Amino acid sequence: MAAYAYAASDPLRGYAVPDSKADLFAGSQGDVAGSWHRMAAGLAALCDGRLGDIHDRLLHEISDLGMTFRLSGDTDERPWPVSPMPLLIGTEEWAGLTKGLVQRASLLERVIADIYGAQSLVAGGHLPAAVVAGSPNYARKMQGIVPPRGRYLQIYAVDLARGPGGKWRVLADRVRLASGIGYALENRLAISRTTGTLLSDINTRRLAGFFAELRRGIASSCTRTAPRIALLTPGQFNQSYTEQAHLARYLGFPLVEGRDLAVSQERLYVRTIAGLKRIDAVWRWIGTEMLDPLAFNAHSQIGVPDMFDAWSSGELAVANWPGAGVVQARAFSAFMPRLAKVLLGESLILPNMATWWCGQANERKYVRERLDDLVVSPAFGTVVAGLKDGRTRAGASMSVSERAELFAAMELRPADYVGQEIVHLSTTPALIGDTFEPRPFTLRAFLARGADGEWVVMPGGFARLSAQGDLRTSLIGKGDFSADVCVVDDVAVEQLSLLGPDTAPPVRRSGGILSSQAADNLYWLSRYTERAEITVRIIRNLLGSSIEVDGGSRRGATSRQRLVGLLVSWGTIPTDAAGLPLPQLCARAFREQELPGGIAALVGSIRKIGRSLRDRMSADFWRVANQPIPHQDDNWAQSVLSASNVMIDRFSVLSGLAAENMARGPSWRFNDLGRRIERSLTICRIARQLMGEDCGQDEFGLLLDLFDSQITYRSRYLVGPMRAPVTDLVLLDPGNPRGLLYQVERIAEHLASLPQQTEDGIPEAPYRQFSAMLASLRGMECASIDDHQLQDIETRLLALSDAISQRYFLQYERSDPPVRDNLLA
Amino acid sequence: MNYNVKHITEVRYDALVNLARFNLRLKPAEWEGQVLTGYRLDINPMPKAIVDESGPFIVNTARLTLDKPTASLTVTSEFSVRVNRALPQPGLPAPSLADVRNQALEDRGLSTRDPASYLFASPIAGMAPEIGEWAACRFAGSDSVIAAATALMHAIRNEFTYDSKATAADTPPIEAFRSRRGVCQDFAHVMIIALRQFGIPAAYVSGYLRTNPPPGKARLVGADATHAWVNVWCGNGLGWIGFDPTNAMLAGNDHIFTAMGRDFADVSPLDGVFIGGSGQRMKVSVEVTPLNP
Repeated sequence: MAAYAYAASDPLRGYAVPDSKADLFAGSQGDVAGSWHRMAAGLAALCDGRLGDIHDRLLHEISDLGMTFRLSGDTDERPWPVSPMPLLIGTEEWAGLTKGLVQRASLLERVIADIYGAQSLVAGGHLPAAVVAGSPNYARKMQGIVPPRGRYLQIYAVDLARGPGGKWRVLADRVRLASGIGYALENRLAISRTTGTLLSDINTRRLAGFFAELRRGIASSCTRTAPRIALLTPGQFNQSYTEQAHLARYLGFPLVEGRDLAVSQERLYVRTIAGLKRIDAVWRWIGTEMLDPLAFNAHSQIGVPDMFDAWSSGELAVANWPGAGVVQARAFSAFMPRLAKVLLGESLILPNMATWWCGQANERKYVRERLDDLVVSPAFGTVVAGLKDGRTRAGASMSVSERAELFAAMELRPADYVGQEIVHLSTTPALIGDTFEPRPFTLRAFLARGADGEWVVMPGGFARLSAQGDLRTSLIGKGDFSADVCVVDDVAVEQLSLLGPDTAPPVRRSGGILSSQAADNLYWLSRYTERAEITVRIIRNLLGSSIEVDGGSRRGATSRQRLVGLLVSWGTIPTDAAGLPLPQLCARAFREQELPGGIAALVGSIRKIGRSLRDRMSADFWRVANQPIPHQDDNWAQSVLSASNVMIDRFSVLSGLAAENMARGPSWRFNDLGRRIERSLTICRIARQLMGEDCGQDEFGLLLDLFDSQITYRSRYLVGPMRAPVTDLVLLDPGNPRGLLYQVERIAEHLASLPQQTEDGIPEAPYRQFSAMLASLRGMECASIDDHQLQDIETRLLALSDAISQRYFLQYERSDPPVRDNLLA
Repeated sequence: MNYNVKHITEVRYDALVNLARFNLRLKPAEWEGQVLTGYRLDINPMPKAIVDESGPFIVNTARLTLDKPTASLTVTSEFSVRVNRALPQPGLPAPSLADVRNQALEDRGLSTRDPASYLFASPIAGMAPEIGEWAACRFAGSDSVIAAATALMHAIRNEFTYDSKATAADTPPIEAFRSRRGVCQDFAHVMIIALRQFGIPAAYVSGYLRTNPPPGKARLVGADATHAWVNVWCGNGLGWIGFDPTNAMLAGNDHIFTAMGRDFADVSPLDGVFIGGSGQRMKVSVEVTPLNP
């Protein structure tokens, strides 16, 4: 092995493992070893030698990217754990892996095609019928239904282990869902943002080309030439929703849920604000059983009724084809070597874990006899007797009574068990604190079909590192962390971006489609943001931040009471909190989570809706929306006041992002519509409180404060706030962007620009009444506005909001699950 | 034996429903020992489309689409059938549980009649070691699969109480088992789970049962209902044999077969989706009339 001259400052200098072959770095040679050192030294250089500081920088990028995940049972998302040190794999080692992976993907494709086609493997005795039928992902209903271009598999993920001798083998096939593929992409983004040019300095192969191929691969299975491909998600409460949203945004696929879709005449459509738009292909992140409540599980609420018809008619490509997951059951591993011989006439280039399926007498006998050298697992991933919680057990760790229990259970249902060889894992240097320590790892690799249908391997992947325990669970467990995987070339790599010049798409001005559900969310996102902002403005005002020098103190008790009354009526604070001293009352408003109008509750709603729009929101949105509400000291007005100021700044940033960054299409219109409607409602409600007969200068000054119109007022009038000029500025001046008429005119513009969905072209009553209201508002004089008129405007706005939801947002489809007949004794 | 069966299902919705789509699994599928001699399906309101399918188990499905708003749906399924089913002779030599288990694993087929698909946990009939332990004591000493299934069927009949209020369509079988109460659907599921715990393929059968009036009384019109029992795979030689745990009898000439699947979910007479509406009520009436040959 080539000796490497360590520099005195080399952070890998002290890294020691007992057996160099059993470590990815220690076993590396030549250029690859050099890359490890350059990477480690580069990380140290980024933080002036204090290597431990890199964790914080990385965490910062992760939170900016909005990378989170949930463990099952979590209600909140956790930040995604990534190690700053990637795994580096040399070209030669990678080439060997690639060959084996492509062979395996081709083999699995043939096996799936046979199971759902001729079934010659079962009939010929090469594959037991029980192994197929026992697989939870076997979908009998897919029998005989051939996918477009015969491709059952489009995207394939596989877990690999590197043994202590450096030999790779397959731990598990992940055919059902390629979970982790988005995290691999996000890891790369986070690491490259943290490390600048470091990855390209060591000639890391880029991932962009792989994703471009993946997209072309799906497109090439579609019948139309410019197909619309959607990513079908189970929804924001799914464990890997952030991953799905990120992929959808990166690939430019609309992110849709089952309820966004509908089938008509054997074609799949997405419900958009402009009616139904055809979908040519879906990349599904929903298990087959849940895809169509009429074809599979009648209780499914996340699927699409009659989607089965769309794909079986050949009008819809589905990646992967429903039922393809059948081959990922563990029991299949026992038959892969034989199936490779039968179907390909080859041996497996990349072996899988040696596996013995206990449904066969000889294999069962072997597992019993050699239990100490094996692990025992459920053959189909289900819970089985003798293996608590369906967990894999090392035979050697089982007590005499546990063995007896296992063997007894295995006698009754032998098909449910497999024995597998024990796989030992190589280690890789992981940065723990400020030193590198060896950690065992597994690698999830990803393959996709390219435009020509040939398999392409992602040059990289997703590594899982763990100090202990079983690394074979689905994605990531508590205490584990992930790492980027870099394939490093000896020479510089050709640069390729997803939106590369080689395949310039036709120029477009509209950003794809806007689903009804996304429109709904955009609308409510800005309504909540606007409501939160005005609530904070009221709080700030209560605390006396007026531009009057002696603002708060001069303000009378009556006007203060009116503001507190507003907070109570909006559900910002409970009734019994109205009598608290102001700083405590305001701090309470910030913390309120139970009532719908509390700041904490509103911020929660903003984040929740933001999550379901994850594919449409920029990293900046997340950076701002995810910041915690600043801490306040209840007894110190100044502290609550500065919290208010911070929050107002943030809301301004969120509105600014929407105003400045959103293209002027329907997305922006729905978002702005929500803001304008909420703001006009707020103006009406506040004005009704502060412009009554008994109101005076105090109240008028407050109005100017709350609607940020003090400066305009002063530039126009030398007198203090008076009823007529304030009314004009806040309600009737079409040029005041915080005033009522301005909002209403913007609403009218949006309505005129949105697609019309009524067949007869006649607007519904709320639209007509809204237009009438606008006309009369334009003609009003400030002296003639009274409470009654404000209330009427408020009512019409609420009716308009309902009409918008009726027209553009989703009408839900309910399932009618099986109901029992009356039955007989 | 010849029968005429009339099965009327009325569903009423609290509000109008739009674009409703349903699966009806009412037309008897082919099964040995019976021949369908006539079938008629009436649906009110008239659906936009009806598509007839069969599978993926031994089941006929009529898929209907209603495209006009409606507050009710009435389905009338009427058929005549000739049943002539040979029961296994008492004392017929039958394979042991172990033999059946091994034969099921060695079987090289995935068709709807092959045992493999009925060997594993299914959506409703999941594995339950608790039921297996209970069944093990009832099997004791049974030397053949028929003896074991018979013992199990009698145990359910003796130890469980028929109680139509105790369970609903979506009550998990394990709850019915623990309370020892339920209806034929629950009893069939318990028996299926018990047999599968021992590696014996077992299937859910939906159908109808001829009811015999007490001696001297006339047959009551409208007293009939749908029924469910268990098909047990008794090895390559004997194939499927029907056991009715609700009545502790083999499925013979009183049993009219409609469909067979892994559990109720595969053969549910009616399920579907609709837009709108909220609550629904369902009324079912069944009439099984024996005809003169």
